[in-house]
Amino acid sequence: MTNTSVAPPADRLIELNDVYKIYGEGLESEVRALDGVSLHIDRGEFTAIIGSSGSGKSTMMNILGCLDLPTYGEYYLNDERVSDLSDVELSRIRNREIGFIFQGFNLIPALTALENVELPLVYAGAGARAKKGAVGDERLLRSREELAWAALEKVGIDHRAHHRPAEMSGGQQQRVAIARAIVTNPPLILADEPTGNLDSRTTEDVMKILRELHAAGSTVVLITHDREIAEAADRTVRLLDGKIVYDSKRDGDDGSRGDPLGLGTKGGAGA
Amino acid sequence: MTFVQSVKMAAKSIGSNKGRSFLTMLGVIIGIAAVIILVSIVQGQQDAIMEQFEKMGTNQMEVYYYQWSGNTPDLTDELQQFCAELGPELVIGISPQKYAWSNSIRYESKQAEYPNIYLASDTYSICAGFTIAKGRDISYLDVKKLNRVCVLGSKVAADLFNYADPVGKKITISGDEYTVIGVYASKGVSEEYGGSYQDNVVIVPYTLEKRVNKSSGSSSSSYEFLVKAASSDVIEEAMGRIRAFLETKIDTNNGYVDVYSNSSWQESQTEGFAEQAVLLGSIAAISLLVGGIGIMNIMLVTVTERTREIGIRKAIGAPRRAIITQFLIEASMVSTMGGLIGMIVGCLGTVVAGKLILDTILAPPVYILVVAFLVSVAFGVGFGVYPAIRASRLQPVEALRNE
Repeated sequence: MTNTSVAPPADRLIELNDVYKIYGEGLESEVRALDGVSLHIDRGEFTAIIGSSGSGKSTMMNILGCLDLPTYGEYYLNDERVSDLSDVELSRIRNREIGFIFQGFNLIPALTALENVELPLVYAGAGARAKKGAVGDERLLRSREELAWAALEKVGIDHRAHHRPAEMSGGQQQRVAIARAIVTNPPLILADEPTGNLDSRTTEDVMKILRELHAAGSTVVLITHDREIAEAADRTVRLLDGKIVYDSKRDGDDGSRGDPLGLGTKGGAGA
Repeated sequence: MTFVQSVKMAAKSIGSNKGRSFLTMLGVIIGIAAVIILVSIVQGQQDAIMEQFEKMGTNQMEVYYYQWSGNTPDLTDELQQFCAELGPELVIGISPQKYAWSNSIRYESKQAEYPNIYLASDTYSICAGFTIAKGRDISYLDVKKLNRVCVLGSKVAADLFNYADPVGKKITISGDEYTVIGVYASKGVSEEYGGSYQDNVVIVPYTLEKRVNKSSGSSSSSYEFLVKAASSDVIEEAMGRIRAFLETKIDTNNGYVDVYSNSSWQESQTEGFAEQAVLLGSIAAISLLVGGIGIMNIMLVTVTERTREIGIRKAIGAPRRAIITQFLIEASMVSTMGGLIGMIVGCLGTVVAGKLILDTILAPPVYILVVAFLVSVAFGVGFGVYPAIRASRLQPVEALRNE
């Protein structure tokens, strides 16, 4: 921790301090996917990060999800400085702190729904070895399948538990993916265009599940280009050219920036 | 992630692509089977030859001496005495083995075909590796009392008597009658190694030499003995001791002492086979190597194909080590399964090849099966390392972007 940074408050889950992600730095073709972004998200918030393609929201998603590291700046997740962690530690954070929901579902085709949902728990066994010695823990091994069943039940897809992804509809697959995201009970649910491949009816189902998760206390970050989808969230953060240009909370709290440039209404049309 | 889970995962992945998994295994199957078959055949040939050597008699040495001028001294008693002093830990038998100059052996109207008549002692059968099939062997008393008796090799017995029992019959050697007291069992040496020549013998007590060789007139100019050493470990020492003893008795400026053993020839034959085994084994090992590279190749393809899967696994928390383990186990399972199938094919192939080439029932030696199994496991791990490391190094972002 540098001496310029202040320890985040206890209820803060995500803290990005002046984060840059620069590709090809110093070259003609330099791209600043994130250009000095600072963002704080508290526990229990439901935040939508919205922006058109090329706005940097995918980069944002990758950095928030610890799939990628920022070029400059600091990222604290759940009081842990993520910016310079090792592969093993990043794996543990992805496993324990974050539940991913992807646009393309990203289920493993060879595994059944139940096995897909169990997979994070399988890796949790190895990842937790140093901390809790969970490998070989009979209780954990026995309850893995039970935990996976519980997660499938929660999203109402337990009747398809023994089917492979190819045997399920998109909506069903996304429910399985959500079950996989919540099975480790992570503090952060990170949904990247979760309804991008779904029709309007199943979109509503998935959004309902996300709202329910939020209502049950999860912190949800939803990344989307669709303003309508973003309306489900309590807070909207708009990205444009790698910068946050709008950040507003419903219920009268307009966050730290408001919409000084008035881009909030224009940008949405470009989606 | 535990080992058992990794194995389950690998089995699932192999099972979901059975055709390709089998083709990948094929290289290992062929390699392992080839190594097993070739080594087994060479081993089988070697065993067959060793068996022939056993039948011909092992640890034998021939002792020979003569003098150019003057009478060659008869050292039979002294040499027997000396060998007795060397003791059974060095020498377990000595017998004169003197060739008789008669090739005329008759029984009634029948004549044996060029038999070798040896003048020998009661320990000849021990030294030469004969066992009595019928009747009895020459005894110490026969030698001492100059009994006119003889023991026939199986070939001579068949020539003279067909299937009749020769024991007690009288045959004529050099015009004298001798009573057949016994018949040696055939040594069973194959024709390649002398065959029936080894059984075409007649043994007469050496004390009857003057009578048997009376046509040659003067006394012997050379003496020959057959000595049996206790083991291959001491044969060199026994040879040296006997040679040294004879050289104190025979003036080597005026004569000749030779102690010869075919054990060194047998050893060189065996070494030749070991070389052959290494050579053929190496050729087969190359095909195994090609099989291993095939595994590596397919595993690299698998890594490329499953880039997205690797990305997903990383996104949900798989550390590098788990990815490496997964791909390593997958590679070694393919290789080990190939190895096991190869072992079965190799065993069957060995039986078939043994029947076709050597006309015997061959079984692969156990050690080669153990080696084959270990090698196939090691190959999977060895050739799986590079693809596994490649897989583990994929960046999750890029892996997920891959469609």
